[in-house]
Amino acid sequence: MVSTRYAARSVGRNLRRTVLSIVGVAIGCLLALFMESLNRGRGELFARAGSASGLGHVRVVPAGWRGRRDPRLRLADWRADLAAAQAMSGVASVTARARAQVLLAVGTHVVPVELTGVQPDIEPRTFRYVQTIGRGRYLRADDGGALVAGRAIADRLSADLDDEIVATTVGPGGEIQSALFRLVGIVSTGSDDTDLAVCQVVLEDLQRLTGFAGAGEVSIVLNDYREIDRVRARLAGSVAAADEVMTLSELAPDIEGHFKQDAAMTRFVSGIILLIVLLGVASAQLAAVLERRREFAVLAALGMNGPRMVWLIVQEALMLGGGGAVLAVAAGVPLVWKLARSGLDFSRYLGGTYAFQGVLFDPVIYGDFGWWIVVYVSAVAMGATILASLYPAWYAARTDPAVALRVAQ
Amino acid sequence: MRARGVTKTFASGRQEVWALRGVDLDVRAGEFLALVGPSGSGKTTLLNLIGALDVPTAGELLVLGRPIAALSKHERAHLRLQSLGFVFQAYNLVPVLTARENVEFVLELQGAGLDRRARAQEVLAELGLADLTDRRINELSGGQQQRVAVARAVAARPAIVLADEPTANLDGENAETLMHLMRDLRDRHGMTFIFSTHDPRVVAHAVRIVTLVDGRVARDERTGGEPPHTILPAATVQAVGA
Repeated sequence: MVSTRYAARSVGRNLRRTVLSIVGVAIGCLLALFMESLNRGRGELFARAGSASGLGHVRVVPAGWRGRRDPRLRLADWRADLAAAQAMSGVASVTARARAQVLLAVGTHVVPVELTGVQPDIEPRTFRYVQTIGRGRYLRADDGGALVAGRAIADRLSADLDDEIVATTVGPGGEIQSALFRLVGIVSTGSDDTDLAVCQVVLEDLQRLTGFAGAGEVSIVLNDYREIDRVRARLAGSVAAADEVMTLSELAPDIEGHFKQDAAMTRFVSGIILLIVLLGVASAQLAAVLERRREFAVLAALGMNGPRMVWLIVQEALMLGGGGAVLAVAAGVPLVWKLARSGLDFSRYLGGTYAFQGVLFDPVIYGDFGWWIVVYVSAVAMGATILASLYPAWYAARTDPAVALRVAQ
Repeated sequence: MRARGVTKTFASGRQEVWALRGVDLDVRAGEFLALVGPSGSGKTTLLNLIGALDVPTAGELLVLGRPIAALSKHERAHLRLQSLGFVFQAYNLVPVLTARENVEFVLELQGAGLDRRARAQEVLAELGLADLTDRRINELSGGQQQRVAVARAVAARPAIVLADEPTANLDGENAETLMHLMRDLRDRHGMTFIFSTHDPRVVAHAVRIVTLVDGRVARDERTGGEPPHTILPAATVQAVGA
């Protein structure tokens, strides 16, 4: 097509302007890419941190739990739910738990906690905080009467290893029930908030203490967090009829909201950067159109209509966008790869770890790296340059050949 | 082409400038007509109106049976593309395209098929530019550029070719050659040529001479017969134009 050749050669008429436009587009795309990679990395961080904090990627909960979040509620058939979850593909680990609000007491020291009954042989795979015990040891399957607690709880109770702790709670009929546990391990997460969330006994001990049989949740960690929706949909059809399946986002809406807010802010900043780039490109293109006003007048005189003229300018913009995209991909791939490998370390500002809503987060955010980079950069570069070309194209299409030729003469 | 009481005014600040003051003119198919007159007499304005580049302020103007004033911008563009050809004083070729591409571009705009390249080549050969088709415009002489401009104007076989001072930037020899070529094209393809000029040597080729003075037709005369005209072989044209 001659018109495409014409557009291509027109782009090359003022090489300096073209190169500057391409570099501008590439820089804008690169910044947007960097931020998008971090945004996607944040999503992965949320999924990783959330699942490792015991929330799980997906969780089976009793009917009514979604609204009340009452730890006394129990699954209709936790063994069937557990088996259904274990049978799913893409599942890394599955565990059952039960929870209860209890008062722990040692001598005159009393601390209200959420006590969790767990399956000790599986729990560390779904709850990262108990993988490393600061002092003592973790629970065993046959560990009747043993308790593991976070350092902050132990400190508040002034308890040490092998101390006996009284746990008191309210039974199904409203009666006060107590049991004696021995502190066998102290977990130190580095954060008081998260330490306070760690207080575990063997599942059967919790059932005996509370008088509530069964489990209150089946927590599932997946191999790939991007499978959450698929697993949730499939699992919903195989769990006990009265039970329901929730995702990490539903379990921790505050955390997800916080991440979404961060992502929106980042995208807003990306948008501002792209807008500035877009205005720069629009200005350069408008200058190019003004320089060729006589040429457009002649083309209009020859019968080129407005839409064709718009397409001509848009083609030129697409070529600039293409050049910018190639440059941005060339520079962006190693940059994002490095970001995905080494991450962006915020520990200088946040310390070793930081906790939000009882969930521990790494201070290192890793970018996401994948084929999406090419698609994203191409879409941003092309989209931005097409938008930038619309006003110059409209201006060119409005050229009145008689007026423009008269002025040129 | 039929003009009755065609008037054209332009706003110049708060003043109104009269470019044409009631022009009456009929042009039949196949005419070779020269518009002459002093600067500011309205020659270019009348060409622009006939070429559907502009619309008259008042009066009736029919071009190929179409009332120019009643046509939309898009319809006028379509009329120009399908039925009118333009040759400009300053050639106004697209500098980043080759001679052939300049001609082919118009055919592409017209929606011509894949044979447009061959057609462009053919027209350029007809104008003695067969060996220069792949040259960029800035590699051609003024005479060659104007012949490319003529090729571009006639490639789509328009009914009317409008030329505004086509020889103004050419020396005598090239001007003479160009007029011969335009006459030749008219004779071969039956196109109507309307051109404005100051050049008496160009006027000498016209079959009809319309003189405009102050936006009015002052004189409309026929030369009483075709002036001597020889169809030049392509090789000769090329030698003269180079």
